[in-house]
Amino acid sequence: MSPEYQPKIIGFLCNWCSYAGADMAGTSRMRYEPNIRIIRVPCSGRVDPILLLKCFQQGSDGVLVSGCHPGDCHYNEGNYHARRKFALLRDFLDYLGIGKERLRIEWCSASEGQRFAEIVSNFTTELAELGPRSGS
Amino acid sequence: MDSELIQQIRYQARDLLESGTVKGVIGYERASDGLTARPFFAYEPAAVERLIFDETCSHNLARYLVDKKNEKMAVVVKPCDSRAINLLLNEEQIKRDMVFVIGVTCPGVVETSWNHKDEELQARCKTCQLVEPPVYDFLANGEAVERPQGEPYLDVQQMETKPITERKAFWSEQFDRCIRCYACRQVCPGCYCPECFVEQLNPLWVGIRIAPKENELWQIMRAFHLAGRCIGCDECERVCPVDIPLSLLNRKLEKEVKELFDFQAGLNPEEQPPLATFKKEEKLGFEE
Repeated sequence: MSPEYQPKIIGFLCNWCSYAGADMAGTSRMRYEPNIRIIRVPCSGRVDPILLLKCFQQGSDGVLVSGCHPGDCHYNEGNYHARRKFALLRDFLDYLGIGKERLRIEWCSASEGQRFAEIVSNFTTELAELGPRSGS
Repeated sequence: MDSELIQQIRYQARDLLESGTVKGVIGYERASDGLTARPFFAYEPAAVERLIFDETCSHNLARYLVDKKNEKMAVVVKPCDSRAINLLLNEEQIKRDMVFVIGVTCPGVVETSWNHKDEELQARCKTCQLVEPPVYDFLANGEAVERPQGEPYLDVQQMETKPITERKAFWSEQFDRCIRCYACRQVCPGCYCPECFVEQLNPLWVGIRIAPKENELWQIMRAFHLAGRCIGCDECERVCPVDIPLSLLNRKLEKEVKELFDFQAGLNPEEQPPLATFKKEEKLGFEE
């Protein structure tokens, strides 16, 4: 990664799995890239597409939405709805020229601190290779 | 001499008004240029003589049903427009027994402007597969017409294959022109929210400034709110004063919904819309 360009990532993490997973990464003192700014949400199903677009509009380079693994949702079906919604949105963003690489959907449980650290680090590296979003 | 089709519409409308079955009939009348059509509300049996139907009747009259949901109305719909009725029924915006649907077999409509009509059919009509409306109480049957069988997503596919920088440049240029008059929303049968997200001030989702970034946010969210709901009447594109190809956005999502969830809006009012349901076993390209 070039030292000049640091991509900004906004992460929407569900309260029950992924946020706890991020916590796990922190308390276990795992190292990951500090480019992510985390927003805690009750469920990945709560994340409205407008929140992601607002992030892009305000200048973030990538957005991560992370929730419980399918089948493990605290509210039983929130992440299933999220999956359908973001499958559509991802292709639509690509169509509009924003690029589907900039939206990352991951399932990460409370015990997967190591995985969370890897997701963030990989995403940061990929975004750094892509470079800044043009025209923003 | 008026066509057989118009006679049938008038006859049915007169019958409905005289018997008191409906309070009014929403149809088309000749605009004051004597060539094109405009929406018309007939409340008296005598007024039905003003009703017409021809290739200039482009408006989607199903839009008015949302405003008239407390009165029993009859509405003249083309096959594409009648899909909007199914959509509104599915979303419980109108009640089936409060609307009488006068369906027409559609010969396709043309683009019109003041005192002018095109010779060629509108782009959407060239690929339309519906000859009869999927929902109607009475069907006014016109002469059988040859339907052109075009590929409906040709322009969408062309856009998809362009390099990403070109797509970005194309849409930036389109959205920059937007003056945010919201005509696309006002005319859309699927946009019936009493308060649109774009007008909410707390939280302020979209800034009120007419500038590229805000326009882009508005345009993307408008299209996405219609994902799996757009019935393809292309009214938004017709009314757009700056000619943004909104149909190219709507049909991308329509195509995506068809491929991913095998669903088309407005064909069956009983079917669950794709974003209100899910299948546990589907992956949709996300690893577990």
